[in-house]
Amino acid sequence: MFAYTIRRVISGILLLVVMSVVTFYLFYASSSTPERFACGPKCTPTQLDTTKRALGYDEPTIVQWGKFAKGFVAGREFPDDEKLRKAAPEQVVECPRGCLGYSYGYSKPVNTLIKDKLPISVSLAISAFVIWIAGGVLLGITAALFKGRLIDKAIVGLSLLAFAFPTFFIGLLLLKFVAIRWGIVELPKYSDFTDNPFLWVSGLILPAITLALVYMAGYIRMTRAFVLETMSEDYIRTARAKGLTRRVVIGKHTLRAVLTPLVTLSGLDLAGLLGGAIITETVFNFNGVGKLSFTAVQRYDLPLIVGIVLLLASFVIVANIVVDLLYAVIDPRVRLG
Amino acid sequence: MGTNRKRLVAAAASMVVAVSLAGCGGDSGDGSGPKGQTDQEVTEATKGGAVFSLETAVTQAWDPQRTYTGRDLSNQSRLVYRSLVDFPKGVTDNIEGQTPIPDLATDTGQSNEDATEWSFTLKDGPKWQDGKPVTCEDLKYGVSRTFATDVITGGPNYIIGYLDVPQDADGQPVYKGPYTGEGQDAFDQAVTCDGNTITYRFKKPWPDFPYAVAALRSFDPYRADQDKGDKSKLSVFSNGPYMLDEKGWNEDSGGTFVRNPEWDASEDTNRDANFDTITFEIGIETEVIIDRLIADEGNDKFAFTSRSVTPAQYPQITGDVEARAVNFESPFSNYLVPNFNRLTNLKVRQALAAATNRAAYVGALGGDKASAPSLSIVNPSTPGYVANPNFGKAEGGDVEGAKALLEESGETLPYPIKLTYPIGSDATDKAFAALKATYDEAGFDVTLDGLDPSGPYYEQIQKPGSDSDLIWGGWGSDWPSVSTVIPPLFDSRVNITKASNGQDYGNYASDEVNAAIDAAAAETDIDKANEMWSEVDNMLAEDVAYIPLDTTKFYFLHGSGLENYVNSAGTNGYTDLGVLSVVDGGK
Amino acid sequence: MSSSTAQLSAEPAQGGQPGDPLLVVKDLRVHFPTADGVVKAVDGLSYTLERGKTLGIVGESGSGKSVSSSAIMGLFHGSNAQLSGQIVLDGTDILTLREDEMRRLRGRDVAMIFQDPLSALHPYFTVGSQIIEAYRVHQSVSKKVARRRAIDLLDRVGIPQPDRRVDDYPHQFSGGMRQRAMIAMGLVNDPSMLIADEPTTALDVTVQAQILDLLQDLQREFNSAVIIITHDLGVVAEMTDDTLVMYGGRAVEYGKTSEILTHPEMPYTWGLLSSVPEVTGDTSAKLIPIPGSPPSLLNPPSGCHFHPRCAFRDKVPGDLCRTTTPELAPGGRGSSHLKRCHLADPESIYQTEVLPEIAPDLVDLLAEENT
Repeated sequence: MFAYTIRRVISGILLLVVMSVVTFYLFYASSSTPERFACGPKCTPTQLDTTKRALGYDEPTIVQWGKFAKGFVAGREFPDDEKLRKAAPEQVVECPRGCLGYSYGYSKPVNTLIKDKLPISVSLAISAFVIWIAGGVLLGITAALFKGRLIDKAIVGLSLLAFAFPTFFIGLLLLKFVAIRWGIVELPKYSDFTDNPFLWVSGLILPAITLALVYMAGYIRMTRAFVLETMSEDYIRTARAKGLTRRVVIGKHTLRAVLTPLVTLSGLDLAGLLGGAIITETVFNFNGVGKLSFTAVQRYDLPLIVGIVLLLASFVIVANIVVDLLYAVIDPRVRLG
Repeated sequence: MGTNRKRLVAAAASMVVAVSLAGCGGDSGDGSGPKGQTDQEVTEATKGGAVFSLETAVTQAWDPQRTYTGRDLSNQSRLVYRSLVDFPKGVTDNIEGQTPIPDLATDTGQSNEDATEWSFTLKDGPKWQDGKPVTCEDLKYGVSRTFATDVITGGPNYIIGYLDVPQDADGQPVYKGPYTGEGQDAFDQAVTCDGNTITYRFKKPWPDFPYAVAALRSFDPYRADQDKGDKSKLSVFSNGPYMLDEKGWNEDSGGTFVRNPEWDASEDTNRDANFDTITFEIGIETEVIIDRLIADEGNDKFAFTSRSVTPAQYPQITGDVEARAVNFESPFSNYLVPNFNRLTNLKVRQALAAATNRAAYVGALGGDKASAPSLSIVNPSTPGYVANPNFGKAEGGDVEGAKALLEESGETLPYPIKLTYPIGSDATDKAFAALKATYDEAGFDVTLDGLDPSGPYYEQIQKPGSDSDLIWGGWGSDWPSVSTVIPPLFDSRVNITKASNGQDYGNYASDEVNAAIDAAAAETDIDKANEMWSEVDNMLAEDVAYIPLDTTKFYFLHGSGLENYVNSAGTNGYTDLGVLSVVDGGK
Repeated sequence: MSSSTAQLSAEPAQGGQPGDPLLVVKDLRVHFPTADGVVKAVDGLSYTLERGKTLGIVGESGSGKSVSSSAIMGLFHGSNAQLSGQIVLDGTDILTLREDEMRRLRGRDVAMIFQDPLSALHPYFTVGSQIIEAYRVHQSVSKKVARRRAIDLLDRVGIPQPDRRVDDYPHQFSGGMRQRAMIAMGLVNDPSMLIADEPTTALDVTVQAQILDLLQDLQREFNSAVIIITHDLGVVAEMTDDTLVMYGGRAVEYGKTSEILTHPEMPYTWGLLSSVPEVTGDTSAKLIPIPGSPPSLLNPPSGCHFHPRCAFRDKVPGDLCRTTTPELAPGGRGSSHLKRCHLADPESIYQTEVLPEIAPDLVDLLAEENT
């Protein structure tokens, strides 16, 4: 298992290197004019050129990638300007090893930005995860147990409805009515968990519900399908033939089997979300990685875009490894090697 | 109770505002020059309280030399950055409100005869937030920063072309800014300090220079020892009544300003500094901001915004909510330009101008609360504005007239037109479809070409060889003068190069117009200059160098706990933080 | 229907055992309502089983053999299946029991061994824990005691090193071992009745024999009644006392195994016999598959369900096979041998037309016995 993990980590790193090249070519070599955003709305072509040079976008993509890679391995300085370093060293930003670049939109290293925003996205993702897993699995099982009955139809119908409505719409609706019109909850606002755990929770409720709903809808239907599928398995018939109570047949034998695909899927979904939920964060003005990426794209902040893409990719890669390892733990039939 | 009566009076007052505004919307071009857009007035205020600014767009920069959006330029001026001269507080009249008054300087500046040299003398008294006095060197350092075009990006850095600094082979100033010090001598000759008197020398006459000083932050002082280049983009070192609190500015969520103890109210009379703190809450969806202001709960009672009510929310602005709303024309104008490389037949351009259905266009954008048809490329709020008689009626859409003109043109009909515009909301698409309808009726065959304004749109229209026939453009003047409207848009000498047409999207090039521009720009008498600009505008109109569309309207809402809410002319129509106060000081 | 049940109620007495039979199934019907109509999976089935005896139920897939035994396990409680008739187990009609009463019988009084032990054992629990669970649900004993019992039984069914293998997962067992474990699980509560649903189908031939031997040994040891459901007549011949042949949800031939195998009176049974490959016998024996496919249970053929596939239909006068359902009634070989067929003298047709085809070397032998 150890050797397996090492092997997976190494291939993950290789994948990230390839991805960094691909994203560089995708964004840096595209026909966009990122310098326009730095330069301002009434920028003349000469100023545009100056800005382009200042941001380093005039260099060939591969050279820019080389600088990026060097910065990641050994650190780098922004701006990379010998003259300025001598004349005004206090203006040079140190970006130590692991450097993902420097955002000209924010005038901050990408790493700093991500480090600042990640806790917000992680909080949101985890609280939504708790809601959607609890709700999705519970309702999914209920629907399966009452298959074909009114309660099943109600749950499946509502989940379809939740699935059909865009997150943006649901979020705005909740914000408008629950928080603003009716004042049932305070306006959602992110507070640091370490500052005040209560505020952390209360500020997260609406966005977490918004984010959870769409996933919950999917998990209800998945859980329902998994439970029904499992209940038709031979080993469930065996369990019943043994004379086990329904509670044990469902609660132990069925759920144990349903757990495996759920863990896999939810692990990957959670990993995808850790990197930010763009729409939910935008609606509720939560300045997590999701909103950061939205802003980055809006401003053509290429270093930031690349940094976030690589962060998300590494989340997904790590999650895949973790899920595979977890799979080996929960499914005795799986052997890694 | 006192509080209640006061509130009632305030509500009644702003109701009048809203009603009278609705009356003055639409055709405000009476030819006699612009009037104030609102009749809001400053009343007695109580000090104290906290106010809140709810915003969607992030503040790009708090660095004065890197700021270029109307809202931020105005807010910075009222809160933290003082200038040599300033626009008066709480004045809605466009002329008075946009005439500079002394701020850091003892007067509004002295110029030589041809306005190529301007001098200002600093007052004794203004201090930075650390107690040190604002000096002439700080002023000189401030403007020098803009020359570092690789660091100080995003601001109106074209102003470096005005100062009398020689150019290098690339056509760029030899001075490269204070960080490298390259070409420092050249700059030291262009801007000089003599005691506390600063003198600026320009290549060409700049008669309205004080307007630029008041409107932009480029000539604001900057303390060299606080300058960390790009790292200073979102930091504030104040010499105004407020300063950023110890938490600083968060690029995505905003920050809070508290009183600056070093600021002296008796010396600075242009800032009332009524409220104790102001908190900027940014990144909120516009719809949510409006919803919160409608609900008027908690801190939102003391909140205001620079976001207009969205058309979908118009029906909710009734009763006591309407009393908290103001609706007036913004300083932003929109227009179309014919591509002179393609539409060489004057009759065709005239037919386009005649058939332009401004009423339908405005209707699609949300009606008279969202926008008003305009008859000049110059915004009605700009001193020197005259409704241009060449463009006929405000509503436009003269199909019969256009048909006749097209027939006279001798072109084969239908005449194909590619109309390029930046995509935005559904309303934008509908508005251009509305234009197409009457164009097509008149004998054109319009192809709508909506492009992404984050890149493709500018790439298409700035190409000199572009195949677009008709192009949308929007403009707001940098300072209240026609000289920041017509020259940047139609002077072919500053715009057209081999690679790009700059802001002259229609590739308009006329030696006659260029000469007239030079003459008007050199005229030191403002009134005389305005007449000359008006003549240039007529020349453009006769050529159909542009077709006016509309003036965007502001439709602002604010909380019930605010008083002295004034959308001054000098603050670009945004909330004037120099007079804003909280009812009873928030007690 | 009354005639067939009347016939059968007399049948158990043929076994000569004293006392009431352990299991009496009377006119059992299991119908599944579906969107397309009612599927009559079992339609009027009756039989009897004595303690210590073995019944073989033979038929193609879909003949209702598995469904009928699942009904005995009470596995249709709580489903949408419609059950009628009687299943009297040790004096109790289990169709009248509530689910919780039935649950207490399951695994304790009647246990079942399923066809595919890989899918019938839970993949995520150890073999031992599954046996322990089966034991403890009916006996109030400690985990430790139950574990010892599980190891004992694994030992008894021939699992080597049972104290170690008890903690293995099913996938770590070979196919034969899994079936042994399954048997151990079935026997853990000393049930009076064991239903083995195709216990050897999924196993390779050498293991099949071992498992069958094991079952026989255990049956003797525990004195259980056993129902073996199979399509393999070889298994039937080796293991069972009585044989019930099912077709299309109904019994078509029922009697002592020796009788059925030597003197089958129903063309479907002939077909089954002729489909058995002869491993040791002579090569002249033909392997004759039954033509056509099993009948639809949703819309079964009229008259005799087997008539569309029956090669001897023309030996019955008129259109009788197509129009009239034959009764399950004694044929020419005494009241203990029931058949559901219109043929007047099936015995002679078998001897002269069928047997020479499928087992030429047996013709003389049987003819001899007949006389």
